Amino acid sequence: MTKSLKNTILEEAISWIKSGQQVALATVVETWGSSPFQIGSKMIINEKGNFLGSVSGGCVETSVITECLELIKNKNSFKKIDFKVSDENAWDVGLACGGEMTVFIEQIN
Amino acid sequence: MKIETLKEIIKKKLSNEQFAVLTNLNNGSSEIFKLGTPISKNFINYKNEIQSYYNLKKSGIIDGTEIFIQNYIKPVEVIIVGAVHITQYLIQYLKDLNFNVIVVDPREYFITKQKFQNIKIINEWPEEFFKKIETSSNTALITLTHDPKIDEPALKYALEKKFFYIGALGSKKTHENRCKRLKEEGFNDEEIASIHGPIGIKIGGKSAPEIALSIVAQLIFETNKYKTI
Repeated sequence: MTKSLKNTILEEAISWIKSGQQVALATVVETWGSSPFQIGSKMIINEKGNFLGSVSGGCVETSVITECLELIKNKNSFKKIDFKVSDENAWDVGLACGGEMTVFIEQIN
Repeated sequence: MKIETLKEIIKKKLSNEQFAVLTNLNNGSSEIFKLGTPISKNFINYKNEIQSYYNLKKSGIIDGTEIFIQNYIKPVEVIIVGAVHITQYLIQYLKDLNFNVIVVDPREYFITKQKFQNIKIINEWPEEFFKKIETSSNTALITLTHDPKIDEPALKYALEKKFFYIGALGSKKTHENRCKRLKEEGFNDEEIASIHGPIGIKIGGKSAPEIALSIVAQLIFETNKYKTI
């Protein structure tokens, strides 16, 4: 079954923006190996680092949030981030499952 | 992504139609795609590949490109016959799993007594209800009244229309009698065997939320099987 993401995350993004928050959207665009989350999984992050939804089982969320905060701060519009087990940061952001994934982050404006 | 695109996605999702969202990972542009609608110049060069991924309902980065496509498919429709206690828990689980749910029960007393929120409830006999709606093999049926005069017209309809999942609550004995009656009505053994009865996987539960969970587990298993065929 292709489980489509629930409306709530996207709807919440709209309500965050309406209340004056800056919002970045992170989407899993590619996975290899045993990444637990499927393509299309989403998470939203505001300028304070609050977030909703998820892109992995908790393995890369912290890193995605940091990247989104940078994106918002620098007023960049998008970035593609690859997460691999072999990264030099593997201890911090690597996927414990041994999978790899690419996350696309973008500002909503 | 533009907020307008985001609003459009939400609107399209609520309308339950198939569509896709395209994102160019090189320049960050995104737009909604639907078969038969024009594609902007950002994506026109990949028209054929986009259509092929769309038809396969496949999401991901299109091979050899920097185009990401996310397909939004029509959710599976689950028709529940019987507004009973188990139904309340079923609805909760099914909503989180993104199924579309309709509850049918001709007994007004049940519908008003049980608490159902934000759910489509039809106070009609199943045979009347099925005359009015359009179903497909993407539909599932769960019967929970174990009253033959309510459940069986629905089961017969689902068998004829080849619903991908049909489950009927009731003990082994109830189910045996049900199968006998369906056979007398002219359904063959294979059709009758396609009904999951007694419904649900065995988890040893007796309470309403446990039974609902066992039904949902079975439905998910069958849905995943069906979707990968």
